[in-house]
Amino acid sequence: MADESTLSIQTERVEKAVIVSPLGRVDGSNAAVLESAIQEQIDAGEKVLVFDFKDLNYISSAGLRVFLMTARRLQGEGGKALFFGFSDPIAHIFEISGFSAILSIYDSRSDALVAL
Amino acid sequence: MSKSPTRLLVVDDEEDLELLIRQRFRRDIRQGEIDFVFAHNGKDALEKLAEHPEIRLVLSDINMPVMDGLTLLSQLEEIRPEIRAVIVSAYGDMENIRTAMNRGAFDFVTKPIDFKDLEITIRKTLRHIEIMRNALESRDRLVAITRELEVATQVQMSILPRDHASSETHEIQAMMIPAREIGGDFYNFFSLDDAMVGLVIADVSGKGIPAALFTMVTQTLLKGAVRNFASPARCLSEVNEMLAEDNETCVFVTVFYGILDLRDGTFRYCNGGHNPPRLVRGDSRVVALPTTGNVVLGVFPGHDYVDGEVRLTPGDALFLYTDGITEAQNARNEEFGEERLDEKLASLKQATARDVVGEVVDAVHHFAEDTPQSDDITCIALRFNAMLSV
Repeated sequence: MADESTLSIQTERVEKAVIVSPLGRVDGSNAAVLESAIQEQIDAGEKVLVFDFKDLNYISSAGLRVFLMTARRLQGEGGKALFFGFSDPIAHIFEISGFSAILSIYDSRSDALVAL
Repeated sequence: MSKSPTRLLVVDDEEDLELLIRQRFRRDIRQGEIDFVFAHNGKDALEKLAEHPEIRLVLSDINMPVMDGLTLLSQLEEIRPEIRAVIVSAYGDMENIRTAMNRGAFDFVTKPIDFKDLEITIRKTLRHIEIMRNALESRDRLVAITRELEVATQVQMSILPRDHASSETHEIQAMMIPAREIGGDFYNFFSLDDAMVGLVIADVSGKGIPAALFTMVTQTLLKGAVRNFASPARCLSEVNEMLAEDNETCVFVTVFYGILDLRDGTFRYCNGGHNPPRLVRGDSRVVALPTTGNVVLGVFPGHDYVDGEVRLTPGDALFLYTDGITEAQNARNEEFGEERLDEKLASLKQATARDVVGEVVDAVHHFAEDTPQSDDITCIALRFNAMLSV
Protein backbone atom coordinates (compact mmCIF):
# COMPACT_ATOMS: atom_id res chain seq x y z
CA MET A 1 0.00 0.00 0.00
CA ALA A 2 1.55 3.27 -1.11
CA ASP A 3 1.78 6.14 1.33
CA GLU A 4 -0.16 8.95 -0.33
CA SER A 5 2.17 11.71 0.73
CA THR A 6 5.56 10.26 -0.20
CA LEU A 7 7.20 8.55 -3.13
CA SER A 8 8.57 5.06 -3.39
CA ILE A 9 9.78 3.44 -6.56
CA GLN A 10 9.51 -0.21 -7.54
CA THR A 11 11.18 -1.80 -10.51
CA GLU A 12 10.46 -5.10 -12.16
CA ARG A 13 12.47 -6.77 -14.88
CA VAL A 14 10.40 -8.29 -17.67
CA GLU A 15 11.57 -9.90 -20.86
CA LYS A 16 12.35 -6.87 -22.99
CA ALA A 17 12.05 -4.00 -20.57
CA VAL A 18 12.10 -2.76 -17.01
CA ILE A 19 8.80 -1.71 -15.48
CA VAL A 20 9.22 1.28 -13.17
CA SER A 21 6.35 2.00 -10.77
CA PRO A 22 6.32 5.31 -8.89
CA LEU A 23 4.06 4.91 -5.84
CA GLY A 24 2.60 7.92 -4.08
CA ARG A 25 3.30 11.42 -5.30
CA VAL A 26 6.00 13.01 -7.41
CA ASP A 27 6.63 16.68 -6.76
CA GLY A 28 9.47 19.16 -6.50
CA SER A 29 10.64 17.68 -3.22
CA ASN A 30 11.32 14.22 -4.61
CA ALA A 31 11.60 14.61 -8.39
CA ALA A 32 15.39 14.32 -8.06
CA VAL A 33 15.03 10.93 -6.36
CA LEU A 34 12.91 9.68 -9.22
CA GLU A 35 15.31 11.14 -11.74
CA SER A 36 18.30 9.30 -10.29
CA ALA A 37 16.37 6.03 -9.97
CA ILE A 38 15.54 6.25 -13.68
CA GLN A 39 19.06 7.32 -14.55
CA GLU A 40 20.36 4.21 -12.80
CA GLN A 41 18.32 2.06 -15.18
CA ILE A 42 19.52 3.97 -18.23
CA ASP A 43 23.12 3.82 -17.03
CA ALA A 44 22.73 0.07 -16.60
CA GLY A 45 22.01 -0.10 -20.31
CA GLU A 46 18.22 -0.33 -20.28
CA LYS A 47 16.77 1.00 -23.53
CA VAL A 48 13.09 0.42 -22.86
CA LEU A 49 11.36 1.60 -19.70
CA VAL A 50 7.70 1.03 -19.03
CA PHE A 51 6.14 3.29 -16.43
CA ASP A 52 3.27 1.95 -14.37
CA PHE A 53 1.24 4.89 -13.00
CA LYS A 54 -1.39 2.73 -11.30
CA ASP A 55 -0.32 3.86 -7.82
CA LEU A 56 0.73 7.37 -8.73
CA ASN A 57 -1.55 9.75 -6.83
CA TYR A 58 -0.18 13.10 -7.81
CA ILE A 59 2.37 14.55 -10.19
CA SER A 60 3.58 18.15 -10.27
CA SER A 61 5.26 19.89 -13.17
CA ALA A 62 8.63 19.01 -11.67
CA GLY A 63 7.63 15.35 -11.96
CA LEU A 64 6.37 15.75 -15.52
CA ARG A 65 9.74 17.17 -16.45
CA VAL A 66 11.49 13.99 -15.29
CA PHE A 67 9.31 11.71 -17.45
CA LEU A 68 9.67 14.03 -20.38
CA MET A 69 13.43 14.05 -20.05
CA THR A 70 13.45 10.26 -19.74
CA ALA A 71 11.36 9.80 -22.88
CA ARG A 72 13.63 12.12 -24.82
CA ARG A 73 16.82 10.55 -23.53
CA LEU A 74 15.70 7.02 -24.33
CA GLN A 75 14.55 8.11 -27.76
CA GLY A 76 17.96 9.66 -28.38
CA GLU A 77 19.56 6.30 -27.60
CA GLY A 78 17.25 4.37 -29.88
CA GLY A 79 15.06 3.17 -27.03
CA LYS A 80 11.68 4.30 -25.76
CA ALA A 81 9.49 5.05 -22.77
CA LEU A 82 5.96 3.67 -22.46
CA PHE A 83 3.32 4.57 -19.92
CA PHE A 84 0.18 2.90 -18.59
CA GLY A 85 -2.19 2.78 -15.63
CA PHE A 86 -3.31 6.44 -15.60
CA SER A 87 -5.98 7.38 -13.06
CA ASP A 88 -8.39 10.12 -14.12
CA PRO A 89 -6.64 12.99 -12.31
CA ILE A 90 -3.24 11.96 -13.70
CA ALA A 91 -4.70 11.50 -17.19
CA HIS A 92 -6.18 14.99 -16.87
CA ILE A 93 -2.78 16.51 -16.10
CA PHE A 94 -1.18 14.74 -19.07
CA GLU A 95 -4.10 15.85 -21.25
CA ILE A 96 -3.87 19.53 -20.27
CA SER A 97 -0.10 19.69 -20.67
CA GLY A 98 -0.39 18.15 -24.11
CA PHE A 99 1.90 15.25 -23.18
CA SER A 100 -0.73 12.60 -23.85
CA ALA A 101 -0.50 13.43 -27.55
CA ILE A 102 3.27 13.09 -27.52
CA LEU A 103 4.13 10.26 -25.12
CA SER A 104 3.30 6.60 -25.75
CA ILE A 105 0.45 5.95 -23.32
CA TYR A 106 -1.43 2.66 -23.09
CA ASP A 107 -4.55 1.54 -21.26
CA SER A 108 -3.08 -1.48 -19.54
CA ARG A 109 0.11 -3.26 -18.73
CA SER A 110 -0.58 -5.93 -21.32
CA ASP A 111 -1.24 -3.32 -24.03
CA ALA A 112 2.04 -1.64 -23.17
CA LEU A 113 4.00 -4.88 -23.19
CA VAL A 114 2.48 -5.94 -26.51
CA ALA A 115 3.56 -2.62 -27.97
CA LEU A 116 7.22 -3.27 -27.15
CA MET B 1 50.43 26.14 -0.10
CA SER B 2 51.44 27.06 3.43
CA LYS B 3 48.78 28.48 5.67
CA SER B 4 49.55 30.66 8.61
CA PRO B 5 49.78 28.84 11.96
CA THR B 6 46.83 28.78 14.34
CA ARG B 7 47.73 31.24 17.08
CA LEU B 8 46.86 30.53 20.73
CA LEU B 9 47.17 32.79 23.74
CA VAL B 10 48.43 31.28 26.99
CA VAL B 11 47.83 33.36 30.14
CA ASP B 12 49.72 32.31 33.28
CA ASP B 13 51.86 34.08 35.86
CA GLU B 14 54.26 31.14 36.09
CA GLU B 15 57.09 32.04 33.74
CA ASP B 16 58.32 28.47 33.25
CA LEU B 17 54.99 27.36 31.70
CA GLU B 18 56.05 29.12 28.50
CA LEU B 19 59.16 26.91 28.25
CA LEU B 20 57.22 23.75 28.99
CA ILE B 21 54.60 24.49 26.37
CA ARG B 22 57.13 25.47 23.72
CA GLN B 23 59.00 22.25 24.50
CA ARG B 24 55.90 20.07 24.36
CA PHE B 25 54.50 21.57 21.14
CA ARG B 26 57.88 22.13 19.46
CA ARG B 27 57.01 19.94 16.52
CA ASP B 28 53.72 21.75 15.81
CA ILE B 29 55.51 25.07 16.17
CA ARG B 30 58.35 24.01 13.85
CA GLN B 31 55.90 22.75 11.25
CA GLY B 32 54.03 26.03 11.39
CA GLU B 33 50.85 24.41 12.63
CA ILE B 34 50.54 26.20 15.95
CA ASP B 35 52.02 29.36 17.33
CA PHE B 36 51.79 30.58 20.94
CA VAL B 37 51.57 34.06 22.38
CA PHE B 38 52.11 34.39 26.13
CA ALA B 39 50.68 36.80 28.68
CA HIS B 40 51.17 36.87 32.44
CA ASN B 41 47.88 38.25 33.69
CA GLY B 42 44.42 39.18 32.47
CA LYS B 43 45.27 42.78 31.59
CA ASP B 44 48.36 41.67 29.71
CA ALA B 45 46.17 39.09 27.92
CA LEU B 46 43.69 41.74 26.70
CA GLU B 47 46.58 43.78 25.31
CA LYS B 48 48.00 40.75 23.50
CA LEU B 49 44.59 39.97 22.07
CA ALA B 50 44.34 43.52 20.76
CA GLU B 51 47.68 42.96 18.99
CA HIS B 52 46.57 39.59 17.61
CA PRO B 53 42.91 39.83 16.62
CA GLU B 54 43.16 36.46 14.82
CA ILE B 55 43.43 34.54 18.12
CA ARG B 56 40.39 32.37 18.80
CA LEU B 57 41.66 30.16 21.65
CA VAL B 58 42.85 31.30 25.07
CA LEU B 59 44.31 29.05 27.76
CA SER B 60 44.11 30.83 31.06
CA ASP B 61 45.12 30.33 34.67
CA ILE B 62 42.66 31.61 37.30
CA ASN B 63 44.80 33.04 40.08
CA MET B 64 46.98 35.82 38.68
CA PRO B 65 48.01 39.31 39.81
CA VAL B 66 46.55 42.55 38.31
CA MET B 67 43.60 40.83 36.61
CA ASP B 68 42.62 37.28 37.42
CA GLY B 69 41.32 34.64 35.04
CA LEU B 70 37.67 34.93 36.03
CA THR B 71 37.64 38.68 35.36
CA LEU B 72 39.39 38.06 32.05
CA LEU B 73 36.66 35.54 31.14
CA SER B 74 33.92 38.05 31.86
CA GLN B 75 35.69 40.64 29.73
CA LEU B 76 36.21 38.22 26.86
CA GLU B 77 32.56 37.28 26.90
CA GLU B 78 31.72 40.90 26.24
CA ILE B 79 34.38 42.06 23.83
CA ARG B 80 35.42 38.88 22.01
CA PRO B 81 32.53 36.40 22.23
CA GLU B 82 33.99 34.34 19.37
CA ILE B 83 36.98 33.37 21.56
CA ARG B 84 36.87 30.00 23.31
CA ALA B 85 38.68 29.84 26.66
CA VAL B 86 40.16 26.79 28.33
CA ILE B 87 40.79 27.25 32.05
CA VAL B 88 43.95 25.87 33.65
CA SER B 89 43.71 25.60 37.42
CA ALA B 90 44.67 23.48 40.43
CA TYR B 91 42.72 20.27 40.87
CA GLY B 92 41.55 21.43 44.30
CA ASP B 93 40.19 24.67 42.89
CA MET B 94 36.91 23.16 41.69
CA GLU B 95 34.80 26.07 42.92
CA ASN B 96 36.64 28.57 40.71
CA ILE B 97 36.59 26.12 37.85
CA ARG B 98 32.81 25.85 38.16
CA THR B 99 32.53 29.65 38.23
CA ALA B 100 34.72 29.83 35.12
CA MET B 101 32.57 27.27 33.31
CA ASN B 102 29.45 29.21 34.28
CA ARG B 103 31.03 32.35 32.84
CA GLY B 104 31.37 30.65 29.52
CA ALA B 105 34.72 28.82 29.60
CA PHE B 106 34.70 26.10 26.96
CA ASP B 107 36.64 23.48 28.95
CA PHE B 108 39.25 23.15 31.68
CA VAL B 109 42.44 21.24 32.47
CA THR B 110 43.92 20.79 35.92
CA LYS B 111 47.34 21.56 37.31
CA PRO B 112 49.84 20.02 37.51
CA ILE B 113 49.32 19.98 33.76
CA ASP B 114 49.01 16.61 32.09
CA PHE B 115 50.35 17.65 28.70
CA LYS B 116 48.77 14.75 26.89
CA ASP B 117 45.38 15.89 28.17
CA LEU B 118 46.19 19.53 27.37
CA GLU B 119 47.04 18.59 23.80
CA ILE B 120 43.78 16.68 23.35
CA THR B 121 41.82 19.56 24.87
CA ILE B 122 43.50 22.10 22.59
CA ARG B 123 42.84 20.03 19.47
CA LYS B 124 39.24 19.41 20.48
CA THR B 125 38.68 23.12 21.10
CA LEU B 126 40.33 24.11 17.81
CA ARG B 127 38.06 21.68 15.97
CA HIS B 128 35.07 23.21 17.69
CA ILE B 129 36.22 26.71 16.71
CA GLU B 130 36.66 25.57 13.12
CA ILE B 131 33.13 24.18 13.02
CA MET B 132 31.76 27.37 14.54
CA ARG B 133 33.63 29.45 12.00
CA ASN B 134 32.25 27.37 9.12
CA ALA B 135 28.74 27.60 10.50
CA LEU B 136 29.06 31.37 10.78
CA GLU B 137 30.40 31.64 7.24
CA SER B 138 27.51 29.51 5.95
CA ARG B 139 25.09 31.71 7.80
CA ASP B 140 26.66 34.84 6.33
CA ARG B 141 26.51 33.36 2.85
CA LEU B 142 22.88 32.46 3.43
CA VAL B 143 22.11 35.98 4.56
CA ALA B 144 23.79 37.31 1.41
CA ILE B 145 21.82 34.94 -0.81
CA THR B 146 18.59 35.88 0.92
CA ARG B 147 19.31 39.55 0.24
CA GLU B 148 19.98 38.77 -3.40
CA LEU B 149 16.72 36.85 -3.54
CA GLU B 150 14.91 39.90 -2.23
CA VAL B 151 16.41 41.94 -5.04
CA ALA B 152 15.43 39.22 -7.53
CA THR B 153 11.87 39.34 -6.20
CA GLN B 154 11.75 43.06 -6.80
CA VAL B 155 13.18 42.70 -10.30
CA GLN B 156 10.69 39.97 -11.11
CA MET B 157 7.71 41.88 -9.77
CA SER B 158 8.86 45.05 -11.53
CA ILE B 159 8.71 43.50 -15.00
CA LEU B 160 5.11 42.39 -14.51
CA PRO B 161 2.61 44.90 -15.81
CA ARG B 162 0.47 46.82 -13.38
CA ASP B 163 -2.28 44.62 -11.99
CA HIS B 164 -5.33 46.58 -13.07
CA ALA B 165 -6.67 48.34 -16.17
CA SER B 166 -10.10 49.46 -17.15
CA SER B 167 -11.87 51.32 -19.92
CA GLU B 168 -15.42 51.59 -21.19
CA THR B 169 -15.06 48.36 -23.08
CA HIS B 170 -13.35 46.14 -20.56
CA GLU B 171 -11.69 45.77 -17.18
CA ILE B 172 -8.68 43.58 -16.29
CA GLN B 173 -7.43 42.55 -12.89
CA ALA B 174 -4.42 40.31 -12.22
CA MET B 175 -2.82 38.92 -9.10
CA MET B 176 0.30 36.87 -8.44
CA ILE B 177 1.27 35.42 -5.07
CA PRO B 178 4.59 33.51 -5.30
CA ALA B 179 4.97 30.56 -2.93
CA ARG B 180 8.64 31.36 -2.41
CA GLU B 181 10.75 34.49 -2.74
CA ILE B 182 10.71 34.23 -6.48
CA GLY B 183 8.14 32.52 -8.61
CA GLY B 184 7.81 30.43 -11.72
CA ASP B 185 4.51 31.96 -12.85
CA PHE B 186 3.93 35.11 -14.81
CA TYR B 187 1.13 37.03 -16.44
CA ASN B 188 0.92 39.89 -18.84
CA PHE B 189 -1.75 41.98 -20.50
CA PHE B 190 -1.34 44.71 -23.07
CA SER B 191 -3.05 46.62 -25.83
CA LEU B 192 -1.82 45.54 -29.25
CA ASP B 193 -3.69 48.42 -30.86
CA ASP B 194 -6.84 50.39 -30.10
CA ALA B 195 -9.06 47.35 -30.59
CA MET B 196 -6.93 44.38 -29.51
CA VAL B 197 -6.10 43.31 -25.99
CA GLY B 198 -3.59 40.53 -25.31
CA LEU B 199 -3.72 38.30 -22.23
CA VAL B 200 -0.91 35.96 -21.18
CA ILE B 201 -0.56 33.53 -18.32
CA ALA B 202 2.25 31.03 -17.87
CA ASP B 203 3.75 28.57 -15.42
CA VAL B 204 7.30 27.19 -15.54
CA SER B 205 7.93 23.63 -14.33
CA GLY B 206 9.59 23.39 -10.96
CA LYS B 207 10.19 26.23 -8.53
CA GLY B 208 12.86 28.49 -7.15
CA ILE B 209 15.70 30.15 -8.98
CA PRO B 210 15.96 27.81 -12.02
CA ALA B 211 12.25 28.27 -12.68
CA ALA B 212 12.51 32.02 -12.17
CA LEU B 213 15.35 32.33 -14.69
CA PHE B 214 13.38 30.38 -17.27
CA THR B 215 10.39 32.60 -16.51
CA MET B 216 12.36 35.75 -17.27
CA VAL B 217 13.59 34.33 -20.57
CA THR B 218 10.09 33.26 -21.63
CA GLN B 219 8.61 36.59 -20.65
CA THR B 220 11.17 38.48 -22.71
CA LEU B 221 10.83 36.25 -25.77
CA LEU B 222 7.06 36.48 -25.63
CA LYS B 223 7.11 40.27 -25.32
CA GLY B 224 9.04 40.38 -28.57
CA ALA B 225 6.88 37.79 -30.31
CA VAL B 226 3.53 39.43 -29.60
CA ARG B 227 4.67 42.52 -31.48
CA ASN B 228 5.70 40.50 -34.53
CA PHE B 229 2.84 38.06 -35.06
CA ALA B 230 -0.91 38.58 -35.06
CA SER B 231 -1.66 34.93 -34.34
CA PRO B 232 -1.22 33.60 -30.80
CA ALA B 233 -0.22 30.23 -32.24
CA ARG B 234 2.54 31.86 -34.32
CA CYS B 235 3.83 33.60 -31.21
CA LEU B 236 3.93 30.41 -29.18
CA SER B 237 5.59 28.53 -32.05
CA GLU B 238 8.33 31.17 -32.22
CA VAL B 239 8.91 31.19 -28.47
CA ASN B 240 8.84 27.39 -28.39
CA GLU B 241 11.55 27.11 -31.03
CA MET B 242 13.84 29.45 -29.12
CA LEU B 243 13.24 27.85 -25.73
CA ALA B 244 13.64 24.32 -27.07
CA GLU B 245 17.06 25.00 -28.49
CA ASP B 246 19.60 23.12 -26.34
CA ASN B 247 17.14 22.65 -23.50
CA GLU B 248 18.61 19.39 -22.24
CA THR B 249 17.19 19.63 -18.75
CA CYS B 250 13.68 19.70 -20.23
CA VAL B 251 12.49 22.62 -18.13
CA PHE B 252 9.23 23.63 -19.76
CA VAL B 253 6.64 26.33 -19.54
CA THR B 254 2.88 26.17 -20.02
CA VAL B 255 1.64 29.29 -21.78
CA PHE B 256 -1.80 30.54 -22.63
CA TYR B 257 -1.97 33.56 -24.91
CA GLY B 258 -5.20 35.07 -26.18
CA ILE B 259 -6.18 38.22 -28.07
CA LEU B 260 -9.58 39.82 -27.59
CA ASP B 261 -10.94 41.90 -30.43
CA LEU B 262 -12.97 44.57 -28.65
CA ARG B 263 -14.90 45.41 -31.85
CA ASP B 264 -16.73 42.11 -32.09
CA GLY B 265 -15.78 40.05 -29.03
CA THR B 266 -13.70 37.52 -30.96
CA PHE B 267 -11.19 35.88 -28.65
CA ARG B 268 -8.41 34.11 -30.50
CA TYR B 269 -6.11 32.06 -28.38
CA CYS B 270 -3.54 29.32 -28.26
CA ASN B 271 -3.05 27.04 -25.27
CA GLY B 272 0.44 25.56 -24.87
CA GLY B 273 -0.25 22.94 -22.22
CA HIS B 274 -1.78 25.35 -19.72
CA ASN B 275 -4.85 24.86 -17.52
CA PRO B 276 -7.80 25.85 -19.72
CA PRO B 277 -9.03 29.34 -18.80
CA ARG B 278 -12.69 29.77 -17.97
CA LEU B 279 -15.25 31.73 -19.91
CA VAL B 280 -17.95 32.94 -17.54
CA ARG B 281 -21.05 33.74 -19.56
CA GLY B 282 -23.40 36.50 -18.54
CA ASP B 283 -26.01 33.86 -17.67
CA SER B 284 -23.45 32.35 -15.22
CA ARG B 285 -22.56 29.31 -17.32
CA VAL B 286 -18.86 28.55 -16.82
CA VAL B 287 -17.04 26.84 -19.67
CA ALA B 288 -13.45 25.75 -19.97
CA LEU B 289 -11.97 27.06 -23.20
CA PRO B 290 -11.38 24.02 -25.39
CA THR B 291 -7.69 23.20 -25.57
CA THR B 292 -5.95 23.69 -28.86
CA GLY B 293 -4.31 20.27 -28.53
CA ASN B 294 -0.96 21.85 -27.95
CA VAL B 295 1.91 20.86 -25.75
CA VAL B 296 3.94 22.86 -23.24
CA LEU B 297 6.66 25.15 -24.61
CA GLY B 298 10.39 24.48 -24.53
CA VAL B 299 10.73 20.76 -25.12
CA PHE B 300 9.27 19.83 -28.52
CA PRO B 301 10.90 21.81 -31.28
CA GLY B 302 8.82 21.92 -34.43
CA HIS B 303 5.55 21.40 -32.60
CA ASP B 304 2.67 22.89 -34.55
CA TYR B 305 0.71 25.32 -32.40
CA VAL B 306 -2.80 26.16 -33.57
CA ASP B 307 -5.30 28.85 -32.68
CA GLY B 308 -8.70 28.35 -31.12
CA GLU B 309 -11.48 30.91 -31.14
CA VAL B 310 -14.56 31.83 -29.12
CA ARG B 311 -16.90 34.77 -29.30
CA LEU B 312 -17.52 36.86 -26.19
CA THR B 313 -20.56 39.01 -25.73
CA PRO B 314 -20.69 41.99 -23.39
CA GLY B 315 -21.26 40.76 -19.85
CA ASP B 316 -18.97 37.75 -20.30
CA ALA B 317 -15.77 37.36 -18.34
CA LEU B 318 -12.56 35.42 -18.84
CA PHE B 319 -10.62 33.90 -15.99
CA LEU B 320 -7.04 32.70 -16.53
CA TYR B 321 -5.26 30.91 -13.72
CA THR B 322 -2.31 28.68 -12.81
CA ASP B 323 -2.52 25.37 -10.99
CA GLY B 324 -1.56 27.07 -7.72
CA ILE B 325 -5.30 27.81 -7.53
CA THR B 326 -6.76 24.40 -8.36
CA GLU B 327 -4.04 22.41 -6.60
CA ALA B 328 -4.10 24.44 -3.38
CA GLN B 329 -4.46 21.89 -0.59
CA ASN B 330 -6.09 21.93 2.79
CA ALA B 331 -5.00 20.04 5.90
CA ARG B 332 -6.84 16.92 4.70
CA ASN B 333 -4.77 16.88 1.49
CA GLU B 334 -7.82 17.75 -0.56
CA GLU B 335 -7.36 20.03 -3.56
CA PHE B 336 -9.37 23.18 -4.22
CA GLY B 337 -10.05 21.69 -7.64
CA GLU B 338 -11.76 22.82 -10.81
CA GLU B 339 -15.27 22.16 -9.51
CA ARG B 340 -14.94 24.59 -6.62
CA LEU B 341 -13.35 27.09 -8.96
CA ASP B 342 -16.21 26.81 -11.44
CA GLU B 343 -18.83 27.10 -8.71
CA LYS B 344 -17.15 30.19 -7.35
CA LEU B 345 -16.89 31.74 -10.81
CA ALA B 346 -20.56 30.99 -11.51
CA SER B 347 -21.50 32.93 -8.38
CA LEU B 348 -19.51 35.93 -9.60
CA LYS B 349 -21.17 36.51 -12.97
CA GLN B 350 -21.98 40.17 -12.24
CA ALA B 351 -18.79 40.99 -10.38
CA THR B 352 -16.06 43.32 -11.60
CA ALA B 353 -12.76 41.75 -12.67
CA ARG B 354 -11.24 43.12 -9.49
CA ASP B 355 -13.85 41.35 -7.38
CA VAL B 356 -13.60 38.10 -9.35
CA VAL B 357 -9.86 37.89 -8.65
CA GLY B 358 -10.25 38.96 -5.04
CA GLU B 359 -13.08 36.54 -4.33
CA VAL B 360 -11.44 33.55 -5.98
CA VAL B 361 -8.15 34.08 -4.17
CA ASP B 362 -10.05 34.57 -0.90
CA ALA B 363 -11.92 31.32 -1.52
CA VAL B 364 -8.64 29.49 -2.11
CA HIS B 365 -7.13 30.90 1.09
CA HIS B 366 -10.25 30.10 3.03
CA PHE B 367 -10.20 26.55 1.69
CA ALA B 368 -6.49 25.99 2.44
CA GLU B 369 -6.81 27.56 5.91
CA ASP B 370 -3.42 27.21 7.59
CA THR B 371 -1.90 24.81 5.06
CA PRO B 372 1.16 26.61 3.65
CA GLN B 373 0.93 27.59 -0.01
CA SER B 374 3.15 25.23 -1.98
CA ASP B 375 2.82 26.66 -5.48
CA ASP B 376 2.61 30.12 -7.02
CA ILE B 377 -0.93 31.42 -7.27
CA THR B 378 -1.58 33.58 -10.32
CA CYS B 379 -4.76 34.65 -12.06
CA ILE B 380 -6.17 37.27 -14.39
CA ALA B 381 -9.79 38.18 -14.91
CA LEU B 382 -11.10 40.17 -17.85
CA ARG B 383 -14.62 41.49 -17.85
CA PHE B 384 -15.94 42.42 -21.26
CA ASN B 385 -18.27 45.37 -20.70
CA ALA B 386 -19.08 46.66 -24.14
CA MET B 387 -18.09 46.36 -27.76
CA LEU B 388 -15.79 49.04 -29.07
CA SER B 389 -17.81 51.20 -31.46
CA VAL B 390 -15.99 51.86 -34.71
